[in-house]
Amino acid sequence: MTTPAIEIEGLEVEFPRYGTAPVKALRGIDLAIAEQEILGLVGESGAGKTTLARAIMQLVPPPGRIARGRVRFRGEDLAGLDPERLRRLRGQVMAMVIANPKSELNPLLTVGQQIGNVLRYHTGLTGKPLRDRVMEMLKEVRIPDPERRYDAWPHELSGGMAQRVVMSIALICDPRFVISDDATSGLDVTVQAQVLELLQRLVARHRTAMLFITRDIGITAHFCDRVAVIYGGEIVELAPREPFFANPHHPYTVLLLAAFSHNPRLRGYWHRQGTSAGETGPAETGCPFAPRCVRARDRCRAEAPRLRELEPGHFVRCHFPVER
Amino acid sequence: MTLLPYVGRRLLFVLPQLVGILFVSFLMVKLIPGDPAVLMLGPFATPDSLAKLRAELGLDHSIFVQFLIYLGKAARGDLGFSWQTTMPVTTDLAQRFPATLELVTLGLLLALAIGIPLGVAGARYRRGPLRAAADYYGLLAGALPDFWLALVLIYVFYTLLAWAPAPLGRIDLSILPPEPVTGSLLIDSLLAGNWETFQNAAAHLVLPVLTLGLINAGPILKMTQATTERMLDSDFSRYAELCGLPHGIIVRQAFRNALPSVVTIVSVLYGFLIGGAVLVEIVFSWGGAGQYAVQGVLNADLNPVLGFVLYSAVLSLVIYLLVDLVYFAIDPRTR
Repeated sequence: MTTPAIEIEGLEVEFPRYGTAPVKALRGIDLAIAEQEILGLVGESGAGKTTLARAIMQLVPPPGRIARGRVRFRGEDLAGLDPERLRRLRGQVMAMVIANPKSELNPLLTVGQQIGNVLRYHTGLTGKPLRDRVMEMLKEVRIPDPERRYDAWPHELSGGMAQRVVMSIALICDPRFVISDDATSGLDVTVQAQVLELLQRLVARHRTAMLFITRDIGITAHFCDRVAVIYGGEIVELAPREPFFANPHHPYTVLLLAAFSHNPRLRGYWHRQGTSAGETGPAETGCPFAPRCVRARDRCRAEAPRLRELEPGHFVRCHFPVER
Repeated sequence: MTLLPYVGRRLLFVLPQLVGILFVSFLMVKLIPGDPAVLMLGPFATPDSLAKLRAELGLDHSIFVQFLIYLGKAARGDLGFSWQTTMPVTTDLAQRFPATLELVTLGLLLALAIGIPLGVAGARYRRGPLRAAADYYGLLAGALPDFWLALVLIYVFYTLLAWAPAPLGRIDLSILPPEPVTGSLLIDSLLAGNWETFQNAAAHLVLPVLTLGLINAGPILKMTQATTERMLDSDFSRYAELCGLPHGIIVRQAFRNALPSVVTIVSVLYGFLIGGAVLVEIVFSWGGAGQYAVQGVLNADLNPVLGFVLYSAVLSLVIYLLVDLVYFAIDPRTR
C-alpha cells in the first residue's frame, strides 16, 4: 500500500480550563486519507470538526494544544518540523478552504493582492507572471468579470464570490491536500450547489486529496469516497460511501440520516429519538452519545466503546450497533 | 470618488463650528472672577477712571452684545489687544503659536518614532523581554508628569553635563532670530541660509522635544500595541497564518489594520498638546501659545485667551479633516 497523504494517529487536543480538568476537544482521532481521496467528515457544532482541521495544520488556536498523537503528511511527522518548513507546507502543499470567508479576508487588501500574496510568498513569483497566474485562477473558479474582481475589495464581494476567492487562495499553489472546513455553510442553497460542484471539479482536476468537513450529511453523499462521523471529539463511524449510506451502524449516524430521510423505518427512529433526546452534550464517561441514544443501556453509560471494524473498511464505535 | 464633495461639506460646517466654540469659551472666560479694569489700573484707581475704562473696553454691555462686538472685530481680523504685552493679540500669537507648533510637532514625531516600533514589537513578541520593556515603558510614561521629566533632563543635560543650552527660550539671546516667514526658527533659519542660527535653535529644541516625545510615546505605544494585538488575533490574521504567509508579513498587515486607531490617538494628542504642553513651555521659558493663554487667564487678560481658543480650534478642525482624509487613504471601506 502506498503512503497516505495524511495520517492522523491518536490525536488529542485539549483546552485548559481554570481550576478544573481541561476540556478535551478531540479524544484520540485516527484517520488516514489516501492520495486523491475525498474523505467527508460530518458532525454537529462543537463536535471538534474545526479543531481537527486546525490541528492537522498544526495551528490549534491558543490556549488549546495538541496533548497527544501525531499528524503525518506523506509520512513526515508535522510536529517534528521546524516552524519555517511548516509554514512553507501550509498554504502551499496543504491548504484550507474556510467558512465565512468575508470576515477572514484582510479588509485592506484587494482580491488580487490576497491571492497573489500567497503565491508570491510561497514561490517568489512577482510582477506580470504573478498577476497572470492569479487571473487564470480567478477564471478557473469562474468568478464573473475577473478583470474587475481582481481589484475589488473584500467588502464589495458577495458571499459566493468571497467563497470563490478563498478557493482560489487555497488552490493557487496547487496543493496536494485540501481541507474544506464547512466551506458552503453560509451560502444560499443554489450558490452552495454551484460552489460544491466547482470544488469537486477542481479537486478532481488537480488530483488533490481532500478532507471535506460539513454539518450536512446529505452533501457527503454526492462526492465523498469515504464518510466519517465525528461526535464529542471521537470518530464514531467511518465507511466507504456506499455501505455508509446503505447500512449505517451507529445510532448517531442513523439519527443524522433519519432527519433527512423519507424511509418510514428511519423516520420512526427519528421520532422516537426526537422525544427522548434533549439538548445534552457528550458524556464524559462511557459512550459520549449515550445521553441522547434511545438504545443506550447500562454498559453504554459505564464503558466507552472502541472503534471496531464490523465489515471490511466499515468502522463503528458502538456496543450495540444498529443492524439492518 | 466622493472625496471632493465630502471635503466641501466638511468645510461648510467649519464656520458655524468656530462661532459655537468661540461663544462657549467667551461665556466661560467671562465667568472667571476678576475685573480687568481693576487689574489694569491697580488698587488706587478712582471709581470714575474705572468706569471710563470699563466703557472703553465695552464691559458695560450685556455679555451677548459683547460677544457680537468681539465676533464682528474677529471677522475683520482684529482679536483685540493684550493689556499685559500691550500688543495686538494677532501679533503676539503670530510669534507664539508657531513656537508651540514647532515644539509639539517635533515632540509628536519623536513620540511616534518611539511608540510605533515598540508597540508593534510588543504585539509581535507577547512573551519576552521586549514586551516587558514596552509594558514598563508605557506605565512609566503614563505615570511621569512631563514637567518633572523636563526638570530632570535639564538637571542632567544642562546642570551636570552642560551638553544642552540653558532652558531660557528658543534661541540664545546673543543670536539674532531669523526673519520670520513661517514662524518656525528651524525652517526660517534654513530659509535665510543661516546655519549657525539653525544649530542654536535645534539645540534649544532638544530637551523640550525629548520631554514631549518620551512622555507622549506612552499612549501611542499602548494604542499601537493593543490594536495590533487585536488585529493579530482576528480572523484574517489567523487565516493568513493558515495560508502560510511569513509572520513578518502578517504582523505588517495587522499593523496596517491598526493604523486608523493610531492616527486617531495622534490627532487627539496633537490638539491636546497645543494647550497641554504649557507646563513644558513654562519650564523651558518657551514663550509659546499655551503659556500666553495661561498668563491671560491668570491676569483676566481675556483677549489672548479667546485668541488662543480660536487658533487652537481652527487647528483642531484642520487636523480632524486631515485625519478623515487619512482614513480615506487607508481604509477602502470608507470610500
